[in-house]
Amino acid sequence: MYEFDFQFILDNPGFLWAGLKHTLALYAASLTIGLALGLVIGMGRYSTRKWLNWPATIWVELFRNTPVLVQMMWFFFALPVLIGFSLTAFTAATMALAANASANAAEIFRAGIQSIHKGQWEASRSLGMSYGRIMRRIILPQAIRRMVPAFSNRAIELAKMTSLASTISYAELLYEARLMSSMQFNPIEAFTAVAVVFFVVLYPLTRIVARFEVDARI
Amino acid sequence: MDYDWQFGPVFRNFDLLLWGLGNTLMLTAICLVLGLILGLAIALLRLSRLWIVSAPIGLLIDFLRIVPPLVQLMWVFFALPILIDVRMTPFIAATVTLSIQSAAFFAEVFRGGIISIERDQWEAARSLAMPKATMMRRIILPQAITRMIPTILERGIELLKTTSLVSAISFADLLFQATQVSQSVFRPLETFTVAAGLYLAVILPASIGVRLVERRMARSGVSTVG
Repeated sequence: MYEFDFQFILDNPGFLWAGLKHTLALYAASLTIGLALGLVIGMGRYSTRKWLNWPATIWVELFRNTPVLVQMMWFFFALPVLIGFSLTAFTAATMALAANASANAAEIFRAGIQSIHKGQWEASRSLGMSYGRIMRRIILPQAIRRMVPAFSNRAIELAKMTSLASTISYAELLYEARLMSSMQFNPIEAFTAVAVVFFVVLYPLTRIVARFEVDARI
Repeated sequence: MDYDWQFGPVFRNFDLLLWGLGNTLMLTAICLVLGLILGLAIALLRLSRLWIVSAPIGLLIDFLRIVPPLVQLMWVFFALPILIDVRMTPFIAATVTLSIQSAAFFAEVFRGGIISIERDQWEAARSLAMPKATMMRRIILPQAITRMIPTILERGIELLKTTSLVSAISFADLLFQATQVSQSVFRPLETFTVAAGLYLAVILPASIGVRLVERRMARSGVSTVG
């Protein structure tokens, strides 16, 4: 029978702590950029102008229909050849996750905006409001409320995706665990600890999101 | 950008990439089938009226759905063999991890599908004195599975994308083969672009197909779950 020994991990919290900090940095960067970019692309998807709609559609289909790990490998190994200088693992991982998140966010924005009844547009237009103002004051405030559950789910998915950055040697949680397990020969404890950290952080969040979903349905 | 694209070296190794794509598709199919079968079993346990059965199963489902798939894969590949003393191959680790993960997902879909079946169906079946297993097999599940079709298809596509993670434990899927080819011909840009194109060529038509199925079901008034 295998004897578990979590003592090393408890005595050296620095390992996982360093990993968690990097995971959070990657998450914050890719979530922020992804959301901002997603809003712009979502507007493009919603637009009836071809020169806005087409590039936005291609972007969304490209990043939604290829695996995110392939995207990360592309940004880390392939893009530097094209641009002539190498990217750090953090930059490449952020680019891939942000691009992926933006494509998903764009679809949520578009669906949210489309879900607002046409009468809202007509009423605002009959008051002489401009497109930008209708969007900002009437449509988005209502649409964003409906988007909250979908966004929260995607945000949790994104947090899970940060672990992929370990494959391009970005020192996030999973990478630190691999490092520790190869030095201490304790893969069971190392990988179990990472799984537990993810679960402890994300489980309460999934419960809150489930709450949102129930509220949104009413 | 005046980069000189040269796809020749990549296309000379195209058979290696196609071999990888074949492995990707095979792994997806195996894990989808195992995930559905195992998912149904887990859903039935989850629906058990015995608290001592349904509560731990619920926690297990949550755990498998929340912990990132790559962490689970690493755990099964590096940690599990020490724990139970078996010889682990990348293929077994990949199949076990992705099947169980899909099963946890499908369990919730099955549960949603089963409880979405209206009460009068249960009552009608019961009033015919049908045994519980027959009722499940003949009345409830056929209707529940129809409602689950779009979700199952969507999940299949998600699963195909997730299989790319197995390259991290050296299973020879499309992404792993692309890494190998790019290292042997020193053309990462072309190789990874072609690999991404191959994924897109499979996944994009599949997603469009799923969207069509969804639209058709919605138009003919079939209710769906998931």
